[in-house]
This record gives sequence, C-alpha cells and structure tokens, in this order.
Amino acid sequence: MSSAAALKARKYLVAASASARARAAYRGDFLGSVIAYCLFVFVFSRVWRSAYAARPSIAGYDYAMSLWYFVVAEIPYFGSSGHFRELAGDIKSGQVAYLVARPYGFVGYRFAQAAGSSLVAVLPILGAGAALGGLVAGPPPLGSAAQAALLAASLALALALQILLQLALALTAFWVEENSAFLWIYQKLALVAGTLLPLEFLPETASRIARWTPFPALAYAPARILVAFAPGPSLRLLGAQAAWCAAAWILCLALYGRGRRRLVSQGG
Amino acid sequence: MGAISARGLSKTFSAKVKPEGLAASLRSLVKPERRLVEAVRGVSFEVERGEAVAFLGPNGAGKSTTIKMLTGILHPSGGRAEVLGLDPSRRRVELARSIGAVFGQKSQLWFHLPPSDSFRLLGAVYELDRRAFEARRDELAERFGIRDYLDVPVRKLSLGERIRCEIAASLLHSPAALFLDEPTIGLDVVAKREVRALLEELRADEGTTIFLTSHDIGDIEKVCKRAIVIHHGAVVVDESMKDLKHRSLAKKLVGVKYARPTAIELPGLEPVKRTADAARFEVDTRAHRIEELLRALVELGEVEDLTVEDESLESVIAAIYEDGAGRKE
Repeated sequence: MSSAAALKARKYLVAASASARARAAYRGDFLGSVIAYCLFVFVFSRVWRSAYAARPSIAGYDYAMSLWYFVVAEIPYFGSSGHFRELAGDIKSGQVAYLVARPYGFVGYRFAQAAGSSLVAVLPILGAGAALGGLVAGPPPLGSAAQAALLAASLALALALQILLQLALALTAFWVEENSAFLWIYQKLALVAGTLLPLEFLPETASRIARWTPFPALAYAPARILVAFAPGPSLRLLGAQAAWCAAAWILCLALYGRGRRRLVSQGG
Repeated sequence: MGAISARGLSKTFSAKVKPEGLAASLRSLVKPERRLVEAVRGVSFEVERGEAVAFLGPNGAGKSTTIKMLTGILHPSGGRAEVLGLDPSRRRVELARSIGAVFGQKSQLWFHLPPSDSFRLLGAVYELDRRAFEARRDELAERFGIRDYLDVPVRKLSLGERIRCEIAASLLHSPAALFLDEPTIGLDVVAKREVRALLEELRADEGTTIFLTSHDIGDIEKVCKRAIVIHHGAVVVDESMKDLKHRSLAKKLVGVKYARPTAIELPGLEPVKRTADAARFEVDTRAHRIEELLRALVELGEVEDLTVEDESLESVIAAIYEDGAGRKE
C-alpha cells in the first residue's frame, strides 16, 4: 500500500480504536448488555427445555443445537446496539452539521466508529455466551479450525451488516423527523426471521421468503455455521452475507449523498 | 490575496409550521404547512489572508448559517462563496484540509477520552504523518499551555482548559483560515483573556486568517481589526474596528454634580437623567462642542464632580442591531 493510501486508511482505524476506548469507558453500559444477553439465553434455555421434553428433535435441531443456535444468533444483535440512536440523534439535533465538513468519507468513518465500539461490546458477550452455552448445553459443536474460521468471519459480517442497516435506517432522519418506528419494525422482522428461531422452524413459504431478505444474514448464517456446519452451504451463507453488506453499504452512501443536501441547520 | 469571499450569498430554508389546536394538527398530518425562512440574504464581503475579522449580529441574524456555508457544511441557495480559492459547497473535503473551525458550544473532543486521543484521531483524519503530527502537537501543547492535562479525560477538564484544547485541536493541521463561533462562551475573564491572546499570537506568528463570531465585545476588540455586522440576513456594517470605535467617539456621555440644587438648563440639549443637583447628557459631538458644553455647565453653579466618557463599543453595536443606524449606504 502506498504511504498516501496508508494514511487515508489509518484515519478509519484510529477512529475505530478511539471509539473502542470511549465505549470501554462506559463499563456500566456494556455490563448491562452482557447481563441482558445472559438473561435472554437463560430464559430461552428453559423454553427449549420444555419444548424438547416431549420430543428429541424439532425441524432437525436437537436441544443442544437449538440452544447454541440462540447463543450465537443473539450475539450480533446485542453487540451492535445504539448505533441507530447515535446517528439519528446527531441528524435530528443538527450535530451532524459539524461532522460532515471533515476530510473523510462520512459513511466509512461512522462505520469505523460503530465497529470499534461494537468490538468492545461483543467480546464480553462472546465470552459470556460460550460459558453459558457450555454450562447448559455442553461443549459447542465446533469440529475443525476451518469451521471456527468461517464462524468468526460470519459473525464479523453479521455484526457489520447489523451496523450498516442501523446506519441506513438512521440516515432516513434526513427526511423523517421521527424515524424510530423504522428501527422497531426492522428489529421485529429480524427477530422473527432467524434470530429467535432458525429459518427451518418457520412455515415453508415464510422460510422461503425470509431467505430473500437480509435478515438471515444478521443471525441465521453464523448460528447455522456453528450448529450444522457443511463447507459448501456455509460458504454460500458467507457469500450472501458479504453481498448484503455490500448492498447495505451502497444504500448508506446513497442515503447520505441525498440526505446531506437536505441538511438544514439554523442557529448556533 | 483574498482568503474568504462571499458574493450575494443567501440561504433559504423551508421550515415546517405547526399551527395551534388539535384540528390544525390533524390537518397538518395530511397537508403539512411550510414556510420559507430567509436566513441569509445576499451577503457580500471579502477577507484578506492574515486578516482578523469579527462577524457580528444579534441572535438569528444569520451568522452561524453564513459560517456553515463558508465551511462547506451548508449549500447556499444563491450567490457564491470562495474560501482559500475553493468553492466550499463543491470542494468541501479539499477545503476541510486547509481550514479549522471552533464552535464554542460543540465539542470536537471525545468526552470520555483524554485530549491526546482526540488529537491523535484528528491527526489521522487530516492525514498527518506520525512525525509531523507529534511535532505539531508538542508545539501547540507548549503554546496553549495544555501539556499537563493532555492525558486527563476531557470530562474532568475545566471549561477554560477544554476550550484551549478545542482550539489547539482545530490547529493541528495548520489551517490557513480559522473560523470561530463563540469561542469564549462561558469562560471566566482570565480564561477569555488567555484565549484572545493566543488567537492574536496565532495570527501574528502563523498569518492565520481569523473569522470570529462572538457576542463578547472583548473578543472583538482584542482579536479583530475589522467588523462585519449582519442583521436580518444582510450586511449592515463593514468597517475597520478603528472606524467602529470612532463611532463611539461621536457620542459623549457627560455627567455633572453640583454642590447644591441647581436649575440645570442648557439650550438645545435635554439631559437623559436629572435630579435636583445632578444631570447626565448624551452629547452628539457633531452637533455640540464639548468644550462649550463643559463651560456652560460650570457657569450654572458650583460643580462638585464632572465626568466625560466615550460611548462603549457595546452600545454602538447594540444601536446598530436595534435600529440599523449604521446601515451600509
């Protein structure tokens, strides 16, 4: 990489690192996320225990698979909270005006900041998930280094897509004063389409429709790679995640490009 | 050589109007009402490189909107702006490398991190290589006297310390022009004095163009050599600080106190305040000779005290705001 290109790339890395350190200062905040996550996993472990009392398998998933599915599927969600609120708040308050006149790509910079912050948030959740999952469902179904590598890549892509979709939704604040409803709808759809339940649990038609949406890329993909690893399908899931990330990135750029022109900021 | 140029710059916003009452609110759900707000109306001025200019106006006059157009934050609705030879709305990113901005009420420092971290981030944003960044940071830390608290989280700094860090942060990339919007707001008198001295030093040493908006007359008097006043989105005064101060010389405040009750009557001059033994006059020196006035006052009785003061610059500017007395001809 040329030194000019390295200097250009460095700003995003430093932004991610500053954001990670700032997030680490809010200890109570990420402790809260870990506690909420553990509570969710514990409650669902009880739900699955009852559901599996009468039968050994549901839609090809046994108890341990369902629980590990849930442990992984929830990680990107819990590790990426707050990015919508932060950017939408900056746009609504006019604070964004002070952030756009800088020599950086706004979307890339915000993404780097969000990724740095999420990285700090996700690591303790990952640790807590591994410990809790192991405690209630036995060791994770990790069979090879290749599976572990694909799982890590898939989790990273799921987290990236979570961030990008939140940023895209937040950017609608340039047009809509109260856009929190968009986040609410998005979260509920994501929950139904792959986060709470594997897609195989949904009715055939719903499952087929869900596979054409970005929601499975947010949670189903990494969870499925852990509980039902097969190289071919796993790579296809990863490819779909990468494609959705690219599409979400383009969407963010388009929304920002158009939204910036609508920027109205009066007064000091 | 010109640093900042505005030619017929204007900005019109479309603002949503929310009428009173439930019926009106329901109506606005279906058919929202909008009103056009002319925040800036054809503002024109030129600022030379190395000049320090005060950009003044009452609240809502359009100052911040103008600064936002000059720094590329907002697109003008009409007219043209040029800063350091670049059109801010078209070459915003390129321009950002050459200008600095300090908004007194908006921080660019990370609240939970020490200033050194924000400096490092800004150094990276402006693509300074490590050696250049460290040299500049150390130089600014020395000049601004912030070395001792570079590693203290911003939330633990006093406002004065934070503002010094804010200004130093905006200078890391050695901008040729610095825009400051209320940089001393909330500071105590000592901190204000220090910030003003630093700005003056910066202009003298580095030739930085300073474009300052402030409601604090001290900032304007100490830092700037010229004042542009806008009101209702249009320039009403553009003159040197010297000329502006001369306006204050055109009006004298004369106070007199007599040893005993005296009939204080002067032909053609009404006091603005009068008691049995004292009076205060606002004297237009173009219409009345001070020397003659003082002689007349002394002749009226036994004078115990006599004062002659210039009108304050603050009053001059307030008068411009209030009635457009200084409207550009």
